[in-house]
Amino acid sequence: MDVGFDAAQRDLRRTVRDLLDREGGAGRGSPVWRRIRELGLLGITVGERHGGAGASSVELGIVLAELGRALTAVPFLQTTVAATVLDRSAAPVAAQVLPGLVAGDLVAGLATPGPASSLPVGTRSALTGVLDNVVDGPHLDLLLTPALVDGDTVLAAVRTDVAGVARTTLPTVDRSRPQARFVLDGAPAVVVGDAAAAARAVDLLLAAVAVESAGAARHCLDATVAHLRTREQFGRPLGTFQALQHRCADLAVLVESAWSTAWYATWAVDGDPATAAVSAPLAKAYCADAFRAVAGEMIQLHGGIGFTWEHPAHRYFKRATSTDLLFGGRAWVRSLVARRAGLRP
Amino acid sequence: MDLRFDEADEAFRREVACWLATALTGEFAELVDAGGPGREHEHLQARKAWERRLGRDGWIGLGWPEADGGRGLSWERQVIFHEECARAGAPGRVGHIGEQLLGPTLLMFGTAEQKARFLPGILDGTRLWCQGYSEPGAGSDLAAVRTRAELRGGEWHVDGQKVWTSLATEADWCFVLARTEPGSLRHRGLSCLLVPMDQPGVDVRPIVQLTGTSEFNEVFFDDARAARDDVVGAPGEGWKVAMGTLAVERGVSTFGQQMGFAREFERVLAAARATGAADDPVLAERLLDSWMQLQVLRYTAVMTLGAPAGSTPGTEANVAKLMWAPWHRRLGELAVDVLGAAGTVAAGPGVDELTPAQRLHLFTRADTIYGGSDEVQRTVIAQRMLGLPRGPA
Repeated sequence: MDVGFDAAQRDLRRTVRDLLDREGGAGRGSPVWRRIRELGLLGITVGERHGGAGASSVELGIVLAELGRALTAVPFLQTTVAATVLDRSAAPVAAQVLPGLVAGDLVAGLATPGPASSLPVGTRSALTGVLDNVVDGPHLDLLLTPALVDGDTVLAAVRTDVAGVARTTLPTVDRSRPQARFVLDGAPAVVVGDAAAAARAVDLLLAAVAVESAGAARHCLDATVAHLRTREQFGRPLGTFQALQHRCADLAVLVESAWSTAWYATWAVDGDPATAAVSAPLAKAYCADAFRAVAGEMIQLHGGIGFTWEHPAHRYFKRATSTDLLFGGRAWVRSLVARRAGLRP
Repeated sequence: MDLRFDEADEAFRREVACWLATALTGEFAELVDAGGPGREHEHLQARKAWERRLGRDGWIGLGWPEADGGRGLSWERQVIFHEECARAGAPGRVGHIGEQLLGPTLLMFGTAEQKARFLPGILDGTRLWCQGYSEPGAGSDLAAVRTRAELRGGEWHVDGQKVWTSLATEADWCFVLARTEPGSLRHRGLSCLLVPMDQPGVDVRPIVQLTGTSEFNEVFFDDARAARDDVVGAPGEGWKVAMGTLAVERGVSTFGQQMGFAREFERVLAAARATGAADDPVLAERLLDSWMQLQVLRYTAVMTLGAPAGSTPGTEANVAKLMWAPWHRRLGELAVDVLGAAGTVAAGPGVDELTPAQRLHLFTRADTIYGGSDEVQRTVIAQRMLGLPRGPA
């Protein structure tokens, strides 16, 4: 057993953290996105034959945890998850689009997972249905979605700029996570994987969301503790009050356990895929829950300043909420865990 | 990062499982699932014999250095041993206080002579130990210890009272934290003494718990004696030794504990299915929460307790305790809740005649108190892990 990160992984974390400390902005035109493209981070898990770095899900997780910490609003999670999925696909379209995804000329993403009744239906070359609340939808050139074709679940790819696809950008409370609704009406589609590939794609997506959330939750705790150490009332730092210390300790337990759970799942999607079927949805459910709790306490323990637009606490709180409600949502993800664990039929 | 056991470790797992399958037969067959927290009073003589069997076959001191009679096995193999014991339902240990608390303390602070005298009895399972730390006035605040010891006529004279001492009725020796410098305050002037239990000055009285059973004891020292040289570390350095005892536990037994928790959860789930409670939406959510959090306990143990020493803040055990103790208590609540009204009917008229679900429900109230209460864990985490400042004294 080898727990922990090696020197190259620690270097990667430092590089990404430095980058995010220097560059900001949101979306595909931002300075931070340009630097992410230049560093080749979009191809981190993609095989070298497609111009990628061929690293594992752990390296991807390191970048995601830092993006979560900084709450960077770029379509990295979606694009890298889609690229990882396409890298495993033998469909000719994968080889055609991967160089563009690795270079950042193309942006792709997965439809938000959900019950079979929500999936588009059709043939292996044309799909009809509504894909709602697609994260980073306004940015996407290519959309991957599970679909029902002749009664079978497949993983399909749909270009977003073609006839038969109507995109509506949705206004969002969490401004770091833009969304769009896609209406497919006989949209041209290509099958890129079978039902198992679709399930693995969702597992990877859920693990990626979990590790991003864990990084964000850790930042919420760090910022809150820093505030309590310096903010004085009644002539002493707030952090000396036991009522607040004990609440922070409970948050620390949540953050540590979410962090461990997220890393276990992130490692498992490549390192032990059979167990990822449980650990990935479990990690998403647990980390989103922990993130919501810690972000909520971040507002409360900052007092009045935490309720202002100027302070970043509300951005974390809104991201935490959207994390929990999107990507399948709380109830669906938990029932997925229950079914896969054999707790429910 | 690789969070799997390697093939050689898995071979070791098969070896352990095979040994357990052979050993837990005959006179030891009745010991399956016996003992452990909440059931410490069961089958004591047979469990002491089991301890000697473990020692004879080399299953005690797996992580100790070979030079000190241990097997020098890796962290992974110690974890595997504990997991397999729990999976097989091997009985709760009675020698664990010697093996997991006193032994490592002697390895750290003991003299060569002390190690030669005391380690073999632990390793062969013949000498049992209990721990004399807590007192009526020194529970969460251990530095308030008042038991005193005085060096007179070439030996230590010990007077005072210890409490919540597990297995004191069975132990041959007790390691006692006592004040050896009269008038000293708090952490100063304490010493860790090794005191034989079989002597006129030691009196053990079982405490009847809210479970109706007795696993914990009071131990009274009334001019009890300890040999001059039976002090661990320098006299007056007892606090450092006591803290070392608590810090040395790197959590290998946590994995066995979690395997035991999984078995308990399976029984609660089976009961919930039998009564139909598993189909109740509220109880179904609680069962799912319990199962999910049990996996989180394991992931957290793997990721933090398995990290190389020195790479972590040293508060992993506090975090782990603050996770498992409330979890276990909630499982106890769930165990009776899935039974509904039937969960209120005892196994018999005696005060200690409880069903397993009732015992779990009642005994887990101790989990969040012993070994550092939840409140103490929160203070330690806030101050040592998060660096929040101490308040005014």
